[in-house]
Amino acid sequence: MALGDAWKQLSWFYYQYLLVTALYMLEPWERTIFNSLLVTVAAMAIYTGYVFMPQHIMAILHYFEVVQ
Amino acid sequence: MIRADEHHLRNGTLKAHSDQKQQGSNSLKNGFHVAGKVQKNANGDSFHQPRVRGEDSFEEAPMYVAVLTYMGYGIVILFGYFRDFLRAVGLEKCHQAQEREEQKDFVPLYQDFENFYKRNLYMRVRDNWNRPICSLPGPVFDVMERVSDDYNWTFRLTGKTIENVINMGSYNYLGFAENNVDFLKTVAEETRQYGVGVCSTRQELGNLSIHENLEQLVAEFLGVESAMAFGMGFATNSMNIPALVGKGCLILSDELNHTSLILGARLSGATIRVFKHNNMQSLEKLLKEAICSGQPRTHRGWKKILIMVEGIYSMEGSLVRLPEILALKKKYKAYLYLDEAHSIGAVGPTGRGVTEHFGVDPNEVDVLMGTFTKSFGAAGGYIAGKKELVDYLRSHSHSAMYATAMSPPVVEQIIRAIKCIMGVDGTTEGQRRVRQLSENTRYLRSRLKEMGFIVYGNQDSPVVPLLLYLPGKVGEFSRAMLKRKIGVVVVGFPATPIAEARARFCVSAAHTREMLDKVLQNLDELGDHIRVKFSRRRPSHRQELYNETDFERDS
Repeated sequence: MALGDAWKQLSWFYYQYLLVTALYMLEPWERTIFNSLLVTVAAMAIYTGYVFMPQHIMAILHYFEVVQ
Repeated sequence: MIRADEHHLRNGTLKAHSDQKQQGSNSLKNGFHVAGKVQKNANGDSFHQPRVRGEDSFEEAPMYVAVLTYMGYGIVILFGYFRDFLRAVGLEKCHQAQEREEQKDFVPLYQDFENFYKRNLYMRVRDNWNRPICSLPGPVFDVMERVSDDYNWTFRLTGKTIENVINMGSYNYLGFAENNVDFLKTVAEETRQYGVGVCSTRQELGNLSIHENLEQLVAEFLGVESAMAFGMGFATNSMNIPALVGKGCLILSDELNHTSLILGARLSGATIRVFKHNNMQSLEKLLKEAICSGQPRTHRGWKKILIMVEGIYSMEGSLVRLPEILALKKKYKAYLYLDEAHSIGAVGPTGRGVTEHFGVDPNEVDVLMGTFTKSFGAAGGYIAGKKELVDYLRSHSHSAMYATAMSPPVVEQIIRAIKCIMGVDGTTEGQRRVRQLSENTRYLRSRLKEMGFIVYGNQDSPVVPLLLYLPGKVGEFSRAMLKRKIGVVVVGFPATPIAEARARFCVSAAHTREMLDKVLQNLDELGDHIRVKFSRRRPSHRQELYNETDFERDS
């Protein structure tokens, strides 16, 4: 039952996302294009963060002289 | 004014004998004016104090709503450009009109923003407008179901009807759009006598006695000297303003005036200046400038200065500030044109419009205009005022001279509606409807505000705009309400500013409390599901209980 509720909640969030970004007005293939673009950009951002985050954190700690 | 104050002081004490005599001659039972007896004082008798005008509310939405609205429009416009590109390249068939091959090098016809908007935004949600109705537009009606196979470019009717849809969109303020046989008996008789077509203009052979009766009745109803009726409300404005003003005159018109007023002003050739909506400082500034500098190049005085306002503005639901405008008009010697299309019959204790609502003498307004479409359930418009004005219009207005006269059944419907409201037909049905309308209005507005929706306008106006802002939510709101069997009108860009799309409810006296409760309950659920409750001021549901420890202090 928890899974059913979670699914309902998720689907309501997706519905809100469609309404707020006005994707609700677009045809299904346009929604696919927009969602793929969004997912691609988000994935690239997360990957870049994952690759560079350790270096950035070390640089910050080094700057504040917390670590040598 | 003084009389009303004196009366206040004497509440509960014996009135002096002389006062009682005055009281008798001044009191008006139902505002029933006999032609010639013009009321000098403010129109209120001792029971109707001139009403304090409630404040118009124009609450602003939180910032994130504006940002998301623009973002939503931005995304759809980007996709619009993408689709236009596909159509231009040929990957997609263009369903809309296009120039012919030979004319492709000419100046483009369909590239401006309006056509772009229509092709790419309006078409996607077009199924929310122009829905075919197959019953009379009373408090409930039947809608024909239609579906689209190609995303709203074409529709087909499935053959089913959606029955008993609650009607929150028709301008049926007093519920006169009815087909009850008893009420329509006089209309049937007049049709039997006069037929339906008049086949002539008023100037030639179309001036029937029923038209004369109507005009006299309208003048009595409004409390002015004389009135004239026309066949079409829009044409009343657009064809008569050119007859009243011309070149060398100045028109000061409100920002949010209706298209018919704007068209009439433009056709007249007068200079038009716009003041901010209901903003008296802006209007006074314009008046001062106009009087000081005169006409643009010659600096001669203006021949006439006409202030054009509406009683209730149909997209905002706000009331005009009539007492202030009258004060300004007298100070600067201008004329006032009041368009009471939505407010006649709908505001005021006995339904006589904004002049009665504010307790103002209708003879102070120079030109009173209104329509019969909204509160009277018929078609047409009128212009009322002094006898000289109306006689002038009879011979100089385009609509009077060239338009066909009004059809007799329609005229009789208006006559019976006015007689009903005035109480002349012997029943209290008219007054009951006027009271029911104001109760319904107040109930709906207060409940909507409590629920947390942003609602514009004055608390007494039966036009209730509920703000939706985001373009995606506008389409979804209308479709979801139809699924729940409530018909609403949503309005978007060209009629409203681009960031303020709204749903507009028109309260009717024919709505019962159960219908309004059903509508409110569905709005509540839908508002939570879609999330359109943007209001940040939430009045409490219950009044605070009287704190007994303060009793002694108050008395």
